[in-house]
Amino acid sequence: MAGDDVAETKKGSSKNTKNSSNESKLKQKSPAEFFAENKNIAGFDNPGKSLYTTVRELVENALDSAESISELPEVEVTIEEIVKSKFNSMIGLIDRERVDTQLYDDYETEKAREKRLAKEARVSEIQAKNLASGKKNKEPGVSKVLKARGEASYYKVTCKDNGKGMPHDDIPNMFGRVLSGTKYGLKQTRGKFGLGAKMALIWSKMSTGLPIEISSSMKSQNYVTFCRLDIDIHKNIPHIHLHEKKGNKEKWHGAEIQVVIEGNWTTYRSKILHYMRQMAVITPYAQFLFRFISETPDKNVTIKFTRRTDVMPPIPIETKHHPSSVDLLLIKRLITDTAKKTLLQFLQNEFVNINKTLATRLIGEMGPDFSPSMAVKSITSQQMVRIHQLFRQAKFDDPSGNCLSPAGEYNLRLGIIKELHPDMVATYSGSAQVFEGHPFIVEAGVSVGGRDVKQGINIFRFANRIPLLFEQGGDVVTRTALKRINWNSYKINQTQDKIGVFVSIVSTKIPFKGTGKEYIGDDISEIATAVKSAIQQCCVQLKSKIVKRLQAREQQERKRSLSRYIPDATGAVYEVLKQMTEEHKKMRKSYGEEDKVIIEKVSKDIITKEILTEKLAEHVEQVDYEMALEYATQSGVSEEPRENIYLQHLDPNKTNFIDLHSPTFVFRLIL
Amino acid sequence: MADKKKRKRSKDDEAEELPFKSILEPDAVILELFKSYVSSSIKAAAGAGGASSSSSKPLTLADLSLSSSCREVADLSLSSVQTEIETVIVQIARSILAGDGFSFNVPSRAASNQLYVPELDRIVLKDKSTLRPFASVSSVRKTTITTRILALIHQLCLRKIHVTKRDLFYTDVKLFQDQTQSDAVLDDVSCMLGCTRSSLNVIAAEKGVVVGRLIFSDNGDMIDCTKMGMGGKAIPPNIDRVGDMQSDALFILLVEKDAAYMRLAEDRFYNRFPCIIVTAKGQPDVATRLFLRKMKMELKLPVLALVDSDPYGLKILSVYGCGSKNMSYDSANLTTPDIKWLGIRPSDLDKYKIPEQCRLPMTEQDIKTGKDMLEEDFVKKNPGWVEELNLMVKSKQKAEIQALSSFGFQYLSEVYLPLKLQQQDWL
Repeated sequence: MAGDDVAETKKGSSKNTKNSSNESKLKQKSPAEFFAENKNIAGFDNPGKSLYTTVRELVENALDSAESISELPEVEVTIEEIVKSKFNSMIGLIDRERVDTQLYDDYETEKAREKRLAKEARVSEIQAKNLASGKKNKEPGVSKVLKARGEASYYKVTCKDNGKGMPHDDIPNMFGRVLSGTKYGLKQTRGKFGLGAKMALIWSKMSTGLPIEISSSMKSQNYVTFCRLDIDIHKNIPHIHLHEKKGNKEKWHGAEIQVVIEGNWTTYRSKILHYMRQMAVITPYAQFLFRFISETPDKNVTIKFTRRTDVMPPIPIETKHHPSSVDLLLIKRLITDTAKKTLLQFLQNEFVNINKTLATRLIGEMGPDFSPSMAVKSITSQQMVRIHQLFRQAKFDDPSGNCLSPAGEYNLRLGIIKELHPDMVATYSGSAQVFEGHPFIVEAGVSVGGRDVKQGINIFRFANRIPLLFEQGGDVVTRTALKRINWNSYKINQTQDKIGVFVSIVSTKIPFKGTGKEYIGDDISEIATAVKSAIQQCCVQLKSKIVKRLQAREQQERKRSLSRYIPDATGAVYEVLKQMTEEHKKMRKSYGEEDKVIIEKVSKDIITKEILTEKLAEHVEQVDYEMALEYATQSGVSEEPRENIYLQHLDPNKTNFIDLHSPTFVFRLIL
Repeated sequence: MADKKKRKRSKDDEAEELPFKSILEPDAVILELFKSYVSSSIKAAAGAGGASSSSSKPLTLADLSLSSSCREVADLSLSSVQTEIETVIVQIARSILAGDGFSFNVPSRAASNQLYVPELDRIVLKDKSTLRPFASVSSVRKTTITTRILALIHQLCLRKIHVTKRDLFYTDVKLFQDQTQSDAVLDDVSCMLGCTRSSLNVIAAEKGVVVGRLIFSDNGDMIDCTKMGMGGKAIPPNIDRVGDMQSDALFILLVEKDAAYMRLAEDRFYNRFPCIIVTAKGQPDVATRLFLRKMKMELKLPVLALVDSDPYGLKILSVYGCGSKNMSYDSANLTTPDIKWLGIRPSDLDKYKIPEQCRLPMTEQDIKTGKDMLEEDFVKKNPGWVEELNLMVKSKQKAEIQALSSFGFQYLSEVYLPLKLQQQDWL
């Protein structure tokens, strides 16, 4: 059903996005409508996933906003469960008791009730028996009350940040119009669709009908904007309920967005918590406060992810397109939008890695229809195809990775240490590489051991510094870590050890696979190779540490493993000696003088198995002592375990520090 | 003889489609050709022997003045094995009592300690040895197992009985853990004591079989290998039991695989061309190698080998001929000189028009093994072998003996082998 639909509407929407000036001509369906109908591609497949996606969109917006003004992010997320009666009262609906009970789906017939009661009786009987016999009862398994159809749960999601805030007048359009922003150029961004909170608003409109509430203030403003609005999906325009200015006593800047949606906390609880934790790993310079507030207080959750560093990655720089990465539509759009007059200027200024000489050569290659001075706006569609073909075939320098903003080895390392507390960690940052004209950087971390880490390989995937949680099976990172790394050769046990594999890929365009953009395909050899080598680099670092540790363990266990064999060895020796004595007694064999001395002693029990054992044990003891001494002199004094510390600012306003950065540490001179 | 010829004739008429059958001479002609070859080669050997050295006795290590000294073992009597063990154990006991622990000085059987001697045409062991101290984590296990094996063999010497390697392993499963460990130490022990493995009274299970024109005594019983049914006579694991070999065969046919052996035995190939057929069903065990050497030495017959056309076939051939690295300390007793490579040779694939579907592509591993073999001295010494192996690695094709079955199950015994004999096509 959806197949045709998506294909058709997608075409429409991409035209709309790529060619906004022609919007009126091509208008068939509003973008808001398109996303409302195809909400699965934006991650709103079902209520549970919608709750998850709403949280992540709000959090990612908050981080972007704070980073854009170089402020260390502080994000507060609150999910508040709203029971049905409260929800009804919010929308002004009066609770009604069921009158005709048989009308409902969850109506229990007489027979079913008997069955259930009988079963419950049986269960309680067994439990009583177990209790009597002292056996531990199995967790009584929260008797699953099947949620009846239509019995939705509602949540109020609030996200507050300390970011840039939004200009008072722009707020309605920023939220109430889908794809209203025109992005020009190319940039590493967190958002996958550029939808942000808008999709959450559409979802709230679809599931609860309640408006979104926005409070915002910018740094220089002495007021707080409060806005309550919803969206007219068909017209794709905001519908403003309230838009006013309030006092700003705390000099707060940032945004607070509150939306009420249908969701499912029970099924997506772990996903949301994983998301927050992984976000804390990749963003150790941010502070997160996550709260879940429920009607039943024992279900409440409050987790604080504290800041571990104040080094922020630089803001990604907007860059121009690389000629080998553009398609026909993009060329068309660039030509429409450019301010340059001639073809030469256009080529030179709208793309990276084309200088004047190269532009002239390219135009010469295009054929007699083209000249450097021709007006760029006069280029026909046919000629565009020629340009496109040439861009595909010609050789250009690779784009540089300068426009990218990787998390940084330093931050990745701190993030891992902060959230997992591993026994060992190694990180590696690869150099920029290129795939289809888009630069990308792969960073990796591998940890062993730690808190709350499962045995085996735990994979943490990040794309443009946001965690990827779904569809992990086909992902390039998962496949590489599970299939192409020979963990044994790094002395890591793939099934027994608690291994954390962290891979962060940043690019101006992440080649996502799947409708939900939840994984990166395994078919791109450039990325697969880079991921593999990054993980291997980490493993090499870990190996030397692990070997050292194994040696230390061998030191401790040497005496025990040697002593284990003493009885077998002395037993065998004594057995032969005993036999020799017998032979000697029976005069079956004559022995030399030296042998006789031993044989005499054996027959007089001066040499017994016990004595041999004792002597050998003494020797083992001595050797062990000598080797331990040697080991100690070689490896030096055993190091005390070191605690990592992070020093908070004494005075948050004082910022004249000199920081010396290295990939793994920062040295700060406090003047 | 007469009815045999008749049978052959009748077959000739019906089996017209068998390739190369037409150029096959009658059996009597082939036999004559072969006999003349044998007598000429014996004459040549005698002539060469008479000219080069005073005695026709085969060379030994001692005759050569090699730059590095080599280690060889000899057959020892039970009582001298017992004495050797006792000497070692008394030494150990003294060392333990003196508080020095103990250690074994075990000759190294690593590849780096092996030497191919072209004059002898076999691999010998150099004299490097390693110390296995008890008080070291890496060697404590092996040292303990060695002590235990010494004690066990001492018992065998006293009781004068034979046991199998499997028996030995089961005396202390807990310590040995798996049989490869006790087997490896057993070889170490025989190397250390300077005796052959047979002198330790430990034998391997029977593996090789022999059929054909051979009569010998096994523990006093006379065995006629033409009357052993289709399966043939199992080669006795203990070579001491074997004696009084008699034969009217013209050659010994060494077969790599059980299947080809079965075919030849069932077709009574040895009656058509008087021969002795031997197989060890894959990699040869010690008993088969000893038996083959004994036959060769006592009966002075040429040995022709029929192996697969792949690197492993040639490897098996080399083990018969030059010895294995694992047992190189005893190569003097285990190797059979002058084995001819009859087939299936890589050049045969095209010569006999073996269809494509019966040839297999070589795997990466096969090609690597093949290339490694080209570096081995025992291959290099025979230019014909080098050529064949080069062809194999280049064509990247291998074929098993069974590939000949594509022309009919009996093609091997009816056409291929007779033709090979007729053309004296061996290397």
